[in-house]
Amino acid sequence: MAEINLNLINGLAAMVLLAAFILVATGRLRTMVRVFAWQSLALGLLAAAVAYSTGYWHIYVVAALTIVLKALIIPRIIDQIMDRIQVANDVEPSVRTPSSLLIAGGMAILAYYVAEPLIQSGETITAGALALSLAVVLIGLFIMISRKKAITQVIGLLVMENGLFMAALSLSYGMPLIVELGVFFDIMVAVLIMGVFVFRINRTFETLDTSFLRRLKD
Amino acid sequence: MADYLLALVQTAVLLALAPLLTGIIRKLKAWMQSRRGPPIFQPYLDLAKLMRKGSVVSQDASWLTSLTPYVCLASMVVAALLVPAFVTESFGFLGDLIVLVYLFAMARFFMALAALDAGSTFGGMGSSREMLVSSLIEPAILLSFFTVALLTGTTSLVSVTSLLATSGASLIGPALLLAFAAFFIAILAENARIPIDNPSTHLELTMIHEAMLLEYSGKDLALMEYSSMVKLTLFITIAWSAFLPWGVATQVTAPDLALGVIIFLVKLLALALVIAIIESSMAKLRLFRLPNLLTGAFILAFLAVMSYFVL
Repeated sequence: MAEINLNLINGLAAMVLLAAFILVATGRLRTMVRVFAWQSLALGLLAAAVAYSTGYWHIYVVAALTIVLKALIIPRIIDQIMDRIQVANDVEPSVRTPSSLLIAGGMAILAYYVAEPLIQSGETITAGALALSLAVVLIGLFIMISRKKAITQVIGLLVMENGLFMAALSLSYGMPLIVELGVFFDIMVAVLIMGVFVFRINRTFETLDTSFLRRLKD
Repeated sequence: MADYLLALVQTAVLLALAPLLTGIIRKLKAWMQSRRGPPIFQPYLDLAKLMRKGSVVSQDASWLTSLTPYVCLASMVVAALLVPAFVTESFGFLGDLIVLVYLFAMARFFMALAALDAGSTFGGMGSSREMLVSSLIEPAILLSFFTVALLTGTTSLVSVTSLLATSGASLIGPALLLAFAAFFIAILAENARIPIDNPSTHLELTMIHEAMLLEYSGKDLALMEYSSMVKLTLFITIAWSAFLPWGVATQVTAPDLALGVIIFLVKLLALALVIAIIESSMAKLRLFRLPNLLTGAFILAFLAVMSYFVL
């Protein structure tokens, strides 16, 4: 039973990383939002599996919040923003897809190299997921840097947050509940504010391409 | 001695089933497109017809053109000797997974050379594209093979199959599934299937594999077509035996063997169905978007190796 549960946790952690790679590989905004929702769902299930095998009830709360907020509500908000401003569905990367994928692979190696000593001394059952979560954080950052549209930068930030959440989960079975609630509230407000920003950028420049923001200097 | 006899029977079954598998995929595709389609034994009849005809060779072609069909067929037959399908007996001492990769590479190399040999423009285009695809997909195949080699501690395909098949379900993890997914994309890329190439196209500008066979006719064409049918069967068999071999007979007893054969046929049909669904529901990718998909396969295989080390 314990072994199957550990396999499940590892499998879900691998799915979170795989989703990050699919986010880099895809060329469509709508797919990115869907894949982000699936990633959050996998993360929520991962948290639930960790809660089941450790018996800490507060992780169940966090798991439920992750699934409701990040897998359902936030994707819906982003979809609505995209409907309202009629944004074109393609991603407009500034680094081409094959090179992006290889860079993301390099980041995964870097994350493993950095996290390896921590994994060796880790005591939690999920310590192996630390390298994967660091990789997810780095890939989220890379999505923010290398994709031009404002929407993709919002998604990149959310992916980074998913990675941080998984890192906290794998190192210390999550943060205290009050901190987690604060983070969720933060994310929610951040997405709403960024939604307004995206809307304003689109109104001012009639595009979501953030490279136009360089014109703001006088 | 009986072991080798069984391995020979297995190879013979693989070689005999290959045209039937192609026929079944064509029939499934026809059904999905609401056509009646040719009978599933049509490939045998086509091959028999072609074998009876003489072949016309361009006067500018050298000995390479007439040698290539035999090289292709020979490398496929040798590869068929190495692959366990329904029982974990084969001539595995002849070579391991890496030899297998390079047997396929040798067939492809000669095919590309023969396409250039007659000096036709389409042939040159075909071989340049084939080399593009293969240079991108070969690292993915090797990495996914390395994943199972790391998991089982050996590169011999027969040992990999029997070790995986006898160990419990505990080895089914992200590493195996990711490697299987990467290898599945490799099946499509190596066998000229949609979305990489269209096996039934005769539109010159989009052909990859077909463009290399344009100069062939008669008996030579039959040999080339037969070796690509065997190649498809072998790739599907390797996908199951190297990554998810559960159900293969590990002991030579009658019930085990019967079960092994039935499960092998079901596995073949399952992947044939998946390929038919993909070919009916997807369009061929533009040539310049191929690297996206093929790098994706490489990354999947890379993640498989990584998750072996990390998890």
